[in-house]
Amino acid sequence: MTLSSFGAPFLPEIVLLAAVLLIFLLDVLKVRRIELTGGIAVAATLFALGLIVADLGFAPLAFLSSIPSSQIDQLPAVGAAPLYAFTSLGLVFQAIFLLAAFFVCLASTSRPSDERGSPIFYGLLLLATIGMLLVAIASDLIFLLLAIEVTSIASYLLVAYTRKDVRGLEAAMKFFVIGALSTVLSFFGASLLFGAYGTTNLYLIREAGAAVGYPILVLLGYGFLIAGLAFKVTLVPFHAWAVDVYDGAPDDVSAFLAGGTKKIGVFAFFLVFLGPVLVVGTVGQSGYGLFGGSVALGPSFQIALGAIAVLTMTVGNVLALLQKEMKRMLAYSSISQAGYMLIGIAIGSAPALGGATLQVFAHVLMKTGAFLVVGAVAALGVGPLIEDWRGLGLRRPLLGTSFALMLLSLAGVPLTIGFVSKFVLFSAAVQAQGWFIWLAVAGLLNSALSVFYYARVLKVMFFDAPPVPSSPATTGVMGAAGPPVLPVGGLGYGRAATIAVIAAIIVAFGIYPQPVLGAIQAAAYHFVTVGA
Amino acid sequence: MILGVLIALGEMWSPGSYTNVQFTWLHLAPAPGPFPNGLSLVMGTLVDPLSSLMLVVVTVVGFLVMLYSIGYMHHDHGLPRYYAELSLFLASMTGLVLANNLLEFFLFWELVGVCSYFLIGFYYEKPSAASAAKEAFLVTRVGDVLFLAGIFILFSTYSLAGPVGSGGWAANGFVFVQGSTAVPFLATAMGGHTTLLTVAGLLILGGAAGKSAQFPLHVWLPDAMEGPTTVSALIHAATMVAAGVYLLAITSVFIGFTPADQLAIVAIGGFTTFFAATMAVVHPDIKRVIAYSTISQLGYMVLAIGAGFAMVGLYHLFTHAFFKALLFLAAGSVIHAVGTQDLFKMGGLKKHMRVTAAAFAIGGLALAGIPPFAGFWSKDDVLSAVYSQLGSHPLYWPFFLLAFAAVFLTAYYIFRAWFLAFSGETTRDPTLPAAHEGPWVMQVPLVILSGFAVVAGLFVFLPGFQSLLLGGAGVAGIPPTYGTTDLLLSSVSVGLGLGGVGLAWSMWGNGRVYALAETSPVQAVRRLLLNRYYFKVGYDWIGLKGVYTISRAADFFDRFVIDGTIRGLQRMFAFASNRARALQSGFVSDYAAYVVAGLLGLFVLLLIVGPYLLGRLGGG
Repeated sequence: MTLSSFGAPFLPEIVLLAAVLLIFLLDVLKVRRIELTGGIAVAATLFALGLIVADLGFAPLAFLSSIPSSQIDQLPAVGAAPLYAFTSLGLVFQAIFLLAAFFVCLASTSRPSDERGSPIFYGLLLLATIGMLLVAIASDLIFLLLAIEVTSIASYLLVAYTRKDVRGLEAAMKFFVIGALSTVLSFFGASLLFGAYGTTNLYLIREAGAAVGYPILVLLGYGFLIAGLAFKVTLVPFHAWAVDVYDGAPDDVSAFLAGGTKKIGVFAFFLVFLGPVLVVGTVGQSGYGLFGGSVALGPSFQIALGAIAVLTMTVGNVLALLQKEMKRMLAYSSISQAGYMLIGIAIGSAPALGGATLQVFAHVLMKTGAFLVVGAVAALGVGPLIEDWRGLGLRRPLLGTSFALMLLSLAGVPLTIGFVSKFVLFSAAVQAQGWFIWLAVAGLLNSALSVFYYARVLKVMFFDAPPVPSSPATTGVMGAAGPPVLPVGGLGYGRAATIAVIAAIIVAFGIYPQPVLGAIQAAAYHFVTVGA
Repeated sequence: MILGVLIALGEMWSPGSYTNVQFTWLHLAPAPGPFPNGLSLVMGTLVDPLSSLMLVVVTVVGFLVMLYSIGYMHHDHGLPRYYAELSLFLASMTGLVLANNLLEFFLFWELVGVCSYFLIGFYYEKPSAASAAKEAFLVTRVGDVLFLAGIFILFSTYSLAGPVGSGGWAANGFVFVQGSTAVPFLATAMGGHTTLLTVAGLLILGGAAGKSAQFPLHVWLPDAMEGPTTVSALIHAATMVAAGVYLLAITSVFIGFTPADQLAIVAIGGFTTFFAATMAVVHPDIKRVIAYSTISQLGYMVLAIGAGFAMVGLYHLFTHAFFKALLFLAAGSVIHAVGTQDLFKMGGLKKHMRVTAAAFAIGGLALAGIPPFAGFWSKDDVLSAVYSQLGSHPLYWPFFLLAFAAVFLTAYYIFRAWFLAFSGETTRDPTLPAAHEGPWVMQVPLVILSGFAVVAGLFVFLPGFQSLLLGGAGVAGIPPTYGTTDLLLSSVSVGLGLGGVGLAWSMWGNGRVYALAETSPVQAVRRLLLNRYYFKVGYDWIGLKGVYTISRAADFFDRFVIDGTIRGLQRMFAFASNRARALQSGFVSDYAAYVVAGLLGLFVLLLIVGPYLLGRLGGG
């Protein structure tokens, strides 16, 4: 007897929605203690995560399985236009999204317990998560774009939820304006596709493409779609908002935006360009491109995506080099990491897709963790500049070591998950041969470049003498939440536990990646071969 | 330790059984390209006759040495470091023995190497110890690099040439194939690549020669005696140096050597046996005499493996581990008592150290190959194994004779050491402290190891042990004949051994000192031997003139070309970073403009650049 016998395929989303309603209800009743609202959010994300993992075939949790396995990785009947479809890769992404949400929820319970904004924060965060989960099951352009919109609107508000912090408000404004622009571009692209084929369903678009070919309208449509989605993934030159937003938003929100929400764009790219919906040809063959057949437009898209990938990696890294502020450095590093993921999309083979997914997983851990550490360090009264972190690794060895592990993983040092994901991704590029090898070369050079600025932080943290103690708490944690009332030297259990767990996972999967790597590769294989 | 013995016992009851537990560490999905089988790296443990034999050696000797250390090392400081490093070594060595693929083997191989480096340099405040540690590390590193190159060749050759999707040897990440059917695997699977196989085999031989101190990479082992004597006993006699022999054994069993490789192995083993024994003849340092003896005995093992008898080599390894550890620990006991390693400053210790004297004598008899001591059985097996293969290649003959001659030298030098240290009257150097036995923790291991040195050779008459050996040897495809050695061969070798003992007695026994006339022409030979054939001088010269010149050039290149480039790049990126930062204006309208510009650029890419490139590339 499993949950699937009740016929509840949207159970994770329903659980989260129920949690949101409960949190807002309690807010009306003036029950706002962060331990309670945070606890509800943590429980809801953890339970939803369990549901997803069960659906992925994790045997010990099989009783939680809510989607019959016969519904996963299946093509719809010919001519049918379903709004959503379950793919195992989509479930993997759902799990990754929920993991990011879970980490942020857990860490945020360590904020001051009398903070008034906590119901808003957790409610919005869970709403954004629901949108992310919906992205991962979309099979229709409109469904996909609306799901992205759910996430986006919730995240605009999240950036400004403290309401009093001027920097947060400014960041939210920028985020919103650019976000609106890219939404317009995406929907315009979708409407062009509709104009060409008379449908927005991704399955039907593929069938129509095979039947009537690819008029110029389609090309334009996809171009606008790329531009719209590139905003989400922070690809250069659609990235400029990200730095100001990650910098201006409260630390926990930055962790969620950089670690979580931007990944929905990656999966949207998967769906639009590579998924079961559009793939033609067999795995690993040159026909996996969008437009197999006589018109050589698929490879043209690969070249465009590859160029954007190289541009994104390089610009992100170069700009990160001279950053003086920790959060801005991490923001640029986040941009360059998005370039690595795009490599996998440009190649499009199953191993490359697996590598990109693993990179997403790794980045969720590394970047969420890194921003959470920034929040924790700010809570300790350390300033926002990198040089303010002098000697931190010695004064707070555990925190410093965790952060060092995250940075080493970002740099791709062996025995961390960041190394494994880059190794898998680059070897997929080498396997694909042709000009894709140059993507691997560009990626490697960029990794080398990135070591510069990560190593500089390590040097500052572990080899420079700590600054003379100044007046504590010059920087407020969580923006307008005021000076931290945490006990001296304490990070709070939730935050400390989250950071430690993330660091442990980074190393554990760096040493023994096969469990997660195997699951992801199998899912990626199904994703590109179903219907082939 | 107990676990190790249990595993070995279990192996005796079910001979030839293979237990392989493994998990996939990292797997890349199959795809067209350089790795049609996908790339899969595996970690696992494999318990088979070879590894269980080694496991007994490692755990038993390791345990006894640990026990002995309690007494021997008690006045040293830095003990936590000592025990931590020793434990790390034992763990790595066990891992190496149980590894089920070459890559994992190599990881542990490097780990034992670095432990060896730490422990040789344990007295790091002594310059000679520090430089000996460096020397050991660098010389074995030469071998390691060769070994790694061999692994790469095997891997790439198989990946490219192996049947697609066969799930075979390299496709599963170097896993040693279970069971006896697939042997020698590469020889059958890659008939067309014998040249590459030969090269790979030679490279692996190079790795083994580095670790097992075979000619010409033997120079580090005598200097490694700078470490504590316990370390010499465990690492530089019984276990780590045997890792090279073990590598050759598993390679010959699981992968197979080509005939050319075999000849090279026989040549190196046979030559080293004699070559090292000659140097042991004249050396005044008790530990170095035993160290040269170790090199020489390792040569026997290599010789046997080269002749195609992997298990005979391992059998000698097994007995040798016990009696050589015994010799080292006994020597350690002497050093502990008198505080010097110079044989000529000892003498007459028999009266004060009866246990040690007896232990050293038993070890010496075993080493000299006097029946019924352990060394007799295994050394005789080695000699008769090579003898049986003499027909296969005429060039085996000289190395067989060298190995035979070394029997005589072995008996001579070890009893020269015994007579110098233990017989005669009282201490020759009255300034040394009065000799005394060590505490019980030092004596017990001596007694236990003496027991092994007496009976370890007789193990072969136990049906279980014999089938263990046969189980492993059957894999190699040649039926061996344990315990039933050629009578003529045995008697000659025993005769040679007794002759060596007799010569030693006549020259050094009862406090006699054999003084060679200064003008004797033999002096030249003696100097040559004392200076180790000037090998180190030669290596130093190569190091100074050759490597130093190259590194000067490399330094110049590094400083001006590489650093210059890096600095230039750094300036360039810093400049670019500064310029690009100006784009991050903070104005939303600018950002929106970038989006629009990006969109236009995208269309240029899609509509003009992409098709143009594809046209140039011939349609992608």
